[in-house]
This record gives sequence, structure tokens and C-alpha cells, in this order.
Amino acid sequence: MKLILLLCALPTIAWPAAKVISLRTVPAQATIQGARATQQFLAIAKFSDGAERDVTAQAEWRIDKPIAKLTGTARVAPLADGTATLQATLAGAQARSLIKITNATASQPVSFRREIAGILTTRGCNNAICHGGVKGQGGFKLSANALYPADDYDWILKGGGYQVLTSEVKGERIPRVDLKNPQQSLLLSKATNTKPHAGGKRLELDGDDYKTILAWLQNGAPFGDKNAASLTRLDIFPSMAVMPLEGQHRLLVTAHFSDNHTEDYTHQALYTINDGEVASVSAAGVITAKRRGETAILVRAAGQLASAGVGVTGAPLTNYPKLTSNNFIDDHINDKLRRFQILPSDPATDSEFLRRICLDLTGTLPPPARVREFLASRDPSKRSKLIDALIGSPEFVDYWTFRYADLFRVSIFANALSAKGMAEYWEWIRNNIDTNRPYDEVARERIAIEGYKPPSRHFLPYAVIATPQEAMGEQVRVFFGRRMDCAQCHNHPYENWSQDQFWGMAAFFSRMFRMGSIVMDHPTNMDLGTKDVGGSMDLLHPRTKAAVKPAVLDNAKLAITPEGNPRRELARWMTSHPYFAESTVNRIWGHFFARGIVDPVDDFRSTNPPTHPELLAALGADFVKHRYDLRHLMRTIANSRTYQTSHKPNSTNRDDVVNYSRALPRGIDAEVLLDAVTDVTGLPEAFSTAITDGATVGQAPTGTRAIQLRDPDTFYSRFLELYGRANRGAVPERSNKPNLSQALHLLAGSTYTDRLSRPNGRLAKLLAAGAPDETIFTEFYLAALTRAPDAAELSELKSVLAQRTDREAALREFVWALISSREFAENH
Amino acid sequence: MYAYWAALGLLSLAASAQTRVDPRALSIHPFTGQRGTTFTAKLRGTNLAGASAVAPNNAPFQITIEGIEPEPLEPGITRRTPVDLVKLRVTINPDAKPGRYPIRLITRNGISNALPIHVSEHAQNIEPEGPHESRDNAVRIPSIPAVFTGKIARRGEADYYSFHVAAGQTLTFELLSGLPQTAAGGSAATIPNFDPAITVYEPAGSWFDPARLKRIAYNDEPVWVIGKPTDAHLVHTFDKAGDYLVRIESFAGQGGPDYSYALKIASGAQPPSWHDTPGIDDRSWSRRIESTRLTKLAERGGKQDKHPSIETYRATPEPTPVKLPATIEGTIAQPTEKHRTTFRIDKPADIAFEFESPNAAPPFFNPLFRLIGPAGDEVASNVFAGRGACSGAMTKSLQAKTILPLRELGEYTVEIREATADLASPDFRYRLLIRPQVPHVGRVQFEIDALNLPQGQGKSIRVNFDREEDYRGAVIVAAEGLPPGVSAVAAADYEPDRDPPQNLGKRERYTARSERVVLVITAAADAPASTQPHEIKLVARSLVDGKPGAVLAAKTFPLMVLGK
Repeated sequence: MKLILLLCALPTIAWPAAKVISLRTVPAQATIQGARATQQFLAIAKFSDGAERDVTAQAEWRIDKPIAKLTGTARVAPLADGTATLQATLAGAQARSLIKITNATASQPVSFRREIAGILTTRGCNNAICHGGVKGQGGFKLSANALYPADDYDWILKGGGYQVLTSEVKGERIPRVDLKNPQQSLLLSKATNTKPHAGGKRLELDGDDYKTILAWLQNGAPFGDKNAASLTRLDIFPSMAVMPLEGQHRLLVTAHFSDNHTEDYTHQALYTINDGEVASVSAAGVITAKRRGETAILVRAAGQLASAGVGVTGAPLTNYPKLTSNNFIDDHINDKLRRFQILPSDPATDSEFLRRICLDLTGTLPPPARVREFLASRDPSKRSKLIDALIGSPEFVDYWTFRYADLFRVSIFANALSAKGMAEYWEWIRNNIDTNRPYDEVARERIAIEGYKPPSRHFLPYAVIATPQEAMGEQVRVFFGRRMDCAQCHNHPYENWSQDQFWGMAAFFSRMFRMGSIVMDHPTNMDLGTKDVGGSMDLLHPRTKAAVKPAVLDNAKLAITPEGNPRRELARWMTSHPYFAESTVNRIWGHFFARGIVDPVDDFRSTNPPTHPELLAALGADFVKHRYDLRHLMRTIANSRTYQTSHKPNSTNRDDVVNYSRALPRGIDAEVLLDAVTDVTGLPEAFSTAITDGATVGQAPTGTRAIQLRDPDTFYSRFLELYGRANRGAVPERSNKPNLSQALHLLAGSTYTDRLSRPNGRLAKLLAAGAPDETIFTEFYLAALTRAPDAAELSELKSVLAQRTDREAALREFVWALISSREFAENH
Repeated sequence: MYAYWAALGLLSLAASAQTRVDPRALSIHPFTGQRGTTFTAKLRGTNLAGASAVAPNNAPFQITIEGIEPEPLEPGITRRTPVDLVKLRVTINPDAKPGRYPIRLITRNGISNALPIHVSEHAQNIEPEGPHESRDNAVRIPSIPAVFTGKIARRGEADYYSFHVAAGQTLTFELLSGLPQTAAGGSAATIPNFDPAITVYEPAGSWFDPARLKRIAYNDEPVWVIGKPTDAHLVHTFDKAGDYLVRIESFAGQGGPDYSYALKIASGAQPPSWHDTPGIDDRSWSRRIESTRLTKLAERGGKQDKHPSIETYRATPEPTPVKLPATIEGTIAQPTEKHRTTFRIDKPADIAFEFESPNAAPPFFNPLFRLIGPAGDEVASNVFAGRGACSGAMTKSLQAKTILPLRELGEYTVEIREATADLASPDFRYRLLIRPQVPHVGRVQFEIDALNLPQGQGKSIRVNFDREEDYRGAVIVAAEGLPPGVSAVAAADYEPDRDPPQNLGKRERYTARSERVVLVITAAADAPASTQPHEIKLVARSLVDGKPGAVLAAKTFPLMVLGK
């Protein structure tokens, strides 16, 4: 019945012939510098159905002065210096862009740095699976996407083989160009496949790119101005291209240079798409929708990589309703839902909300009395009041200490092999959570800590100082949500990080040293016994063997002194960088929604763009504005309509898993699930630990919850082992996927079977009090599922019970069935 | 010569004789008492059968044994060694000075190891029978100050106590262990001891559970250092008036019959009742560097030289010239604060640098000095660098003492800082003594607690000592007060070879040359059996130019000759 009502309430699906309401051109103004430069324009129309679509191909284009010409669809090439207006017309609507042209007739020879490197990129020669790979291909190495054009120039003009572990050239140096007979150059003959080429034909003989390379060779193969501004960033318009099935959208790529000028790179970029079943993309950057869904376009040019989202919508809905918004989160989410013509599920019921918010904020199920009270309350603000109560509860402190003990790796093995060190580190985390310490302060202390202070212990896995690359990689992953590890051995194939950048970042940790039991940063201007043992404190680049100096990713200048702590400067830079706020809010968001705006939450990269970039930015800005207050962030998320959406799908969002149109059910973490079993059965778990004082091993005091254990991995627990507790040897990646061992444990494991026959539990107490069957059923439903059984369930339960002669045994089986159910084991 | 062969003969006899197992006292419960009162306690141990008396060693109390019984075994439990329970009656003198006093039991197997009885000025309360493992059955503390003795009798046990405070009141909680760390070496994880921890709770309740306790303070010592107590100490100021609870448990939840504790709660911020006594070890950070140090060191080297008093200089950021010997005194109160001083060497000299940091020592305060030579290069520091035997990885550690020869003449600069760039505190006080080297005997360590010697047998005692600053004299060790029939002779013990380290760097700058004297104490077959312990004194002296020097160190211990 509920489903029928839902369908009736949905707007009807229709494909209206929408009218153009307005038109705009992008960019609104542009400067074209030099004879070789061009500028791509787009026309975007707003339709009567509220949608915006690319109509570049459909519009009529005209330039009002003969200083420029159209060379393709809305692509303008210069003829003479001056200004002109470009006009687009469609269905009676008009839009204009201003064009300014300079140096239109100045001689501009082809250079390697700009034209040739661009061709190598757009033709895919220097991508990660070809010559841009770690070792290159066929002995020919190019930097990925022309990241290092000077190196590429050398490999092409001088020849020789690349080696990963040394900068020495391998083998005889045979140039890939022949300046006396340019057409015989390997660079051309291989690319045109006139000489055997494993990569096949990349250039057409007499094609534009072929001609450009040939002209460059005939001109002596100049590198170009070595001091010319370098490309620092690519911007893509639009950041999210939304189109209906079989619709098209053109991309506009703008390159930003180090001298602050910009150029159109739309036709000098390489386009690839993550999911080719959703859409395809042409070499000119035109996307064609294929099926409903979302994916990303990756754009590479001159060593830079950027991405844009692509959304293919279903049939437009008529009368798309105005959606409820509790705060800015809902504004962003609703906006995209509307653009994608997806309706969010109904608001979660009180029961659904109560269970979800208790698990998400405290890892604890609400007791039956509180469930009854909440469900009965008619207070319109009861949800926000509950959120405040939970955030202020000691259970919140327990739970988030547990979560951050996971992320920050509280572990006897990871913390100097010392139970004391591990305990002090855990206490530090707990104190930070309890006092709601601003998260940037927490991060700064953890990154830069010295001496014997508690967080310093995490730099001592197995009691030895962590290597610079491990230490850096972990901080970047935890606080920047990025994984730089690939760049340790070579330039990152799916990201802009170079090997040099990796080691530059690692160098901040290279002087970290274990002096006795303290962690310190060795001064650069002091020997302190190093020469006594023929040692060195320098961090050497694995390939060039040169000493590496600390350098941050954006090359910002940091005030590093010879006797200072370089990690302190790094920590300041990291916590003031936008990456810090956006990765933190994304991690917390991922906790509440089972999916990050960037997912996985610690895998930010250009090739894995956010589903809601504006929301991510807004959440980050709000986090900074509220002084990195995690509780404020959680409160904001929990109060949103988006969070309080039901997990039950409707006809428009059944396939949606990225737009938060419905809550995604997910498995409960091992420790939380074990505590839930304990709470429902009313029988505490006994946790024995392997930590000994030499006389006996320890045991957690009675009533200790699994989430209160400092290092769960040091406690014997078959349940925690089977359900995926983290050993925290590395930043944990928990998997809540069920497995066969769990199924066997459900049937025969002590957590589910022995426990039910123990005295003093919830069932035993109810039986001793003479509770009737319905009371027992209801009590357990409330405890386990945060809802009372519905009439059908109650009737079924009574019927089953009536068939059994041993009432107590039957009720034990009922409890077993309840805590074995998927509804219990999931947060939904 | 006769005595030597006799001793050897006795030793060979001893090897074939049946081994007598020493009595061992494991714990006393309760182990604290108020002066002017009498209380009963149970001492738990092994081989205590026949205990007849207690040797309180000049303690301000009298102890009588009221009974001995074997500890009943719990069903299903087996033990290799039976445990005895000795019931003691302790009467403490009204004028007793508060503190720890060791006691030993005298049994037919000899004298036991020592365990302390704590004398307090406060009334003692004993944890009532029954569980106190929750808010509902917490032991009520009616007034403060208070001392409660209790026991964590099994693994996972936690005892709760409740008390009332006024708003803004500060309390000091101290938790003394009845099974303190006893071993002298080895890994912290393998040394049997009861390491207690304190947690303070507010019974604030929560949305989930109105009886839920809110954890508001916790303490455990952060460093596990061999020989230092692991007792917990916590000072907390309560914002709100009301009832609170304190939870007592062992670190990581161990427990057992020896896990006795004494909980002391006092008003105000009080220092721990235990504190480090200044060390005399040359290489300890806490030994006092006095103006008479050169004279005292000379005495330890067997010389009666009178050295002039050492002048103390205030440390400054700008180089301050000093004349050796000199003590530089300063505080690293700001991060990266650095102090400098200069001195001249006009003829080749062997110099020693000694750090003292009275309020905080490594790993909390890490004083570092660096010596810059006349040519401006770094000549030395107090960082001992080496390469490990396994991986060859470089290791470094800070040393309180550094010695080195200075052969280059001219002006030297000493830079002093905290090793880390970020740490500083008003407690980071230091004194750095720069002086000529004085050959002397450093640390002397006697490896003996008590000796039970069956007739016709002998046992060895090791005495370890350090030769400091090229001390070349001998070290004499004598045993005084031996009873009739008992003698002491010199011997040599087996010393196993060790793998040579890969690279110990400039070890001679940072470590003393350690040696060992072995004494064998033998009881003749007809030596009279002891009824009471004899107090034996071991005395170590230097011997230079044939002349015995002043006493370097002495240790008394009880000895009993056991009849067959």
C-alpha cells in the first residue's frame, strides 16, 4: 500500500518540447594572443523545463569584424589585431562574447615546449600505458603528459634508454630525430607506423600534427623559450556536464600559466572518460550521452590533469516538486537531484532516523525506553534536540575516540611496541574528542610532534622511526585524503604528483630521528655524532641520488630553519591548505552516508572527482569558518534533510548511489555490532588481552564495550576477528562485506549461541518477571531494530511460538533470529 | 691459601648437595598502617612454612606472627609451588615517621626478601568485603583526606570509591602498588608487578543510560622505567560540587591475590609521596653537581687532593667566557632557546662535561650540548651515536656525561639547547659542569638482597663497578661482620662472549669501563646454624699506590647459616 501511495505522489514522467528561454556564450570575453592561438566558444541555452543544455552546434555564429574567422564549430582563429564581437543566435535568442586579438601576425615558430609536447599528449604518446609509463616503452621514455618537457626534449633529440633507479642513460644514445632528413626521423616514422610501432599509427601522414612536427624539425627542432611561463592549472567548463540521453555537451578547457595569463587549450588536450558506457568523448572534447548515469571526463595537457563530471539524466519529470531544505547541504543536494531529475526518498521515519543517528553518532543502539519516548514525542524539534543530546553524550566521546583511534592507528605494534605508549596516545585522542579540540590543532600536533609526547609514538612502528616516505604518505592520506604512494617510485600515473614532489614532501620527515626514546628532528647544521659512525642524515632521491630538500606540493616557500622542526612548517601549510578542510569534511561525510563526496574518502585525485564539488567546497568553507569544529560539522550533516532521508527507494532513485537521494544501508563495524549484540541480549562481553605484566594477562573490566578498547586487536575475540576489526598496521580500510566464516559464527559461534543461554540477560529477566510473549517480542524489537514489530510480524511470531512446547527455547531462537537478521546487522 | 682450597672444596660439596629454596615474600595486604595503631595483615609467599619472626630492620613498629596456613587452592587450579599465608600483627609506634619500611620473614629456609610496610599519618580504611565494581556498590569515602587499602583480586576487576567535593575543590589521588616493580632489568612486559591506574568519573548519566558514568580524568605514568615506581598520581580540580567516583584498576586489567593497593586522597595539589632520590651514579641526570665535585671525585679515585670550589655562571644566549672548571646554569624556557659559553684551552687537556637536570630528564627534557672547536667545527656533543648489531642502523642517545681529550689549543664554544625544536618549560633547568678529568671509581653495584647459606655451601656475590676517566687503581671489596664459620674469598665467574657490535662510534666518550668483582661467601660444614639473621656489610674501596682509599660504597644485607 505504501508503495502505491508513493507512486501516486510522484510527478509524472514526460518528454516536453521545451522552449529556449535565454542564451549565453562562454567565455563572455577572450583574448587571443599569437597567430597560432585559437579560442573555442560555447553556447548554453536555458530551456523552459529549467534545464541548461549545450547548443553550440545548433546555434548560428557570426563575427562582426574581419579580424578573426571561424575555423570550426564556434572556434575562432585570429587574422589581425583588434577587438570584435562574436554573436550566437538560436530560436530567436541571442548572446555575445567580446574577442580581443593581439600579435596576430607576429612570427611564432613551432616550439617543442608548446606545440610538440601538446601533440605528444593529445596523441596519447606520453600517457601512462605508453611512453609516459614508469619505464617508458621500447626503450623510449617520455614524462607523463609532458610534465617535464626539457627531459622529453633530451630523450628525443639525444636518444638513450631511461632507467628507473638511476639517472644514468642506458645504452647507446641514438637521437629520435634526423635534422638532415627530417622525414626520416623516428619521431615521425614510428608515429605514422611507417616503421614498426607497437603503439600503432598515431599520426596521419600529411595530417595537421604531422605537418607541425615536420615544420618543427625543418626549423632545427627548437625547444622554445626555456623561461616561458609554465602551465599550472587546467579549468574545465562545465565542471559538471548534464545532458539527456543521446544529448551532447562540448567542453571548454582553459589553461592557466605561471605568469597569470590564460589560453584556450580545448584542442590541445587529451580527453578520456572513466565509464565509456555512460558517455563517449571526442578528441575535440564533445561528450555524447549513451545511458543514464554519472562518470567523469579526464583532461590532460602539458603535465596537468583535471576532470569534469558527466551526468546523463533520465526522462524529465513534469512538475518537479520544490524539495525541502534544512540547510545549505540540502540546497546543493537538491539542486543536483533536480538537474538529474531524481526525486529523493521520503524522509526517514522516526524509528529509522533514531537507529541511524544513534549508530552514526555514538555507535550505540538506543534502549527500548528511549525508543518508546522518542517515537511518542510530538515535539517538532525532537530530532535536532536528540542530535544535540547525542553529540554531548559520553557515548559520543567513546565512539569517536574509537573511530579516530582507528584512523590515527592506536596499536601496540604501531606505537613503539609499548603498551604504555599506545595507551597514552589513545588518551590524547580521547581528550581531543572530549574537549572538542579544533581539528586543525589536532592535525598540527600529530604531524609535527616531537619528544616523548603521546602522538609522537605513532612515528615509531615496531619501535623504530618510520621512514620519511611512510610517515609523509600517512599524514597526506589522513589529513589530505590523498594517496601519493605511487609517486614514490615514479611520477603518479593518475594524478599530477611527480616523483620529485613525493620526495620533496617526504623530505619534511627525513630528519626525524629516534634519539633514545624521543622523536626529534635532526638539525641540518649539526653533526651530533653522525660522523662518528660514518652516517648521513640526508634523504637521497632514489633516482638521481641527490640530497632532497623539503618542498610542498604547490612550491610555497616555508620558513624552514636549520635548527627548526620542518614538520611544524609543513603542518601549518597542510592545515591551511584547502585540501585539509575538504578531505576532513569528506571523511566525516563518508561516515554518515556510507559514501564520500569523493569516494573512497582518502582517494582524492583528478581521476576520481567529487560528485558534488560545490557542496564539498561549501562544507569545507563552513568547517573553516567554525574553526575546524568536528561536532559542528556532524551536527550540520545530521540536521540536513539529506541525512534524514529514508533508505527506501522510489522509482526515480532506485539505481542512484551517488546523489544521496536515499540512505544507503551499510554493514555495521565489528566493534559496534558486538556492542549491539551485547546491548540487545543484556549480556556483557568479557575481553581478555594478550598484554601481560609478567604475572598475568589482562582483562577489560566487566561492562567494557568493544568501542572502548584502546587497541581491539590486542584482545582475544573470534567475533571481532571474523567481522573485520582493523589491526591498524596501516591506515585501516574496513570491509563490511559478509563472508562465510561470519555465517558459520552466526550458527555456531559463542557470540550468538552460548550467550543466549546465559543467565541474567534481557530474556532471562523478562521471563523471570513473567512477561507475556508480546511484551517480550516488542521489547526485543525495540532493543534490536528500534521499532515495534508490526501486526503481521507479531502474528507470525505468536503463531510460531504456539507450535513450540519449550517456550524458553523458542524465545531464545527468536532472539537469535533477530540478532542474526540483516536488518539488525545493517545501519540503514 | 688454605682458605682458598677449603672454599673450593666446599663449593664442590655444594654442587652435590640438595638445593635449598629461599623463602619468598610475594605481597602483604594491607601494606599500610597509621602510626599509633595496630592492624593485622596477611603476607603471601612461598617456602614460608615455619616462619618464626619478622626482621623489621629498625622500623618504628613491632610485628608478630599470629599464624601460618597454606593458601587453599581454588577448584581446578594446580600450583607447582604451594603458597603460604602468614598472618601478621603490626603495632606502629605513635611517633613513627611516615614512610616505607622493609620487613623480612625468618623461616627455617632462611630469611626472605624484603617487602615494605607503609607508615601513614592518616587513618587507614580497608576495602569492605564484597564487590565494588559499579556505581551502585562503590565504597563510600566519608571524608578527605582518606586512605583506603584494597585488592584487585582477579583479572578484569575494578574497584569503585565514591566521594563528595565542593565546587572548585582540588584533590590529589595517589595509588600505591603493593606489588611494585622489583626486577632490575629486562623488558617491561615481562616484569611481574601491579601497575595501578586511576580514573575519575562524574555520575552524570547519559541519554542512553541514566546511570552512565562520565569519565573526567585519568592518569597513569607515561614512562615505564626499570626501577621506578609505576604508582599512579592524579591531581584534579572539580568544576562542580557533587558526588564523584574514582575507579582503581591495573593497567591493562591484570589482577590476582598479590595485587594490593593503597588509595590516598588528599585535598589540594600534593606531590607524589614517592620521588626520585638524587643519584650518585656518574652518568645519572639527577646526581647533584656541587662546587666540591672535583674534591669528591678525587676521593673516589683514592686521592686526598683539595680542589678549589667550582664557580657557577649564568647561561646566556650570547657567548659568555668562563674559566675552567666551571658550571653553567640555565633554563630552556622557550622553544629553540640556545645558550652559549666559551672557554680557552692553553695546553692539551682531558675534559669532562657533566649535565644535571634536576626537575626533568630525558625523555621529557633532553639537554644537548655541542662543542665547537677553535676552527669553528663541531668537535663533540653529548650524543652517543652507534650502529646497531642487527641492522647496522644508526642509533643515537643523549648522555649526561661526556669525556674527551682536547688537543687543539684555543677558544672553544659550548652551545646548549633542548634536543627537540619545539619543547621548552620553566622546569627545563640544567647545570653543565665543564672540568678537567679526575680518575675515579664511578658506579658500584652489589648484586645481593639476602643470603641463606646452608652449612658446607657457598654462594657468589657480584659487585660491579665502573672505572671513570681512566682510573687505573684497584677496587677492594670486603665483607664485614661475618659470623663464625663463614668466610669470604675472591673468585671468578664465567663471562660469556658477546657478538662484537658493528660500530660503537666514540664509545669511550660516553661509557665507563665496567668491571666485576666476585666474592664467594662460604659456610663451613660446622658453622653454627643461625637463629637470627646476621647483618653483613660489603664495603668497596679504591686502592691507589698501595693505599686503600675512602669507602666508595657499602651495602648491608642479612645472612643466615642454615642447618642441615
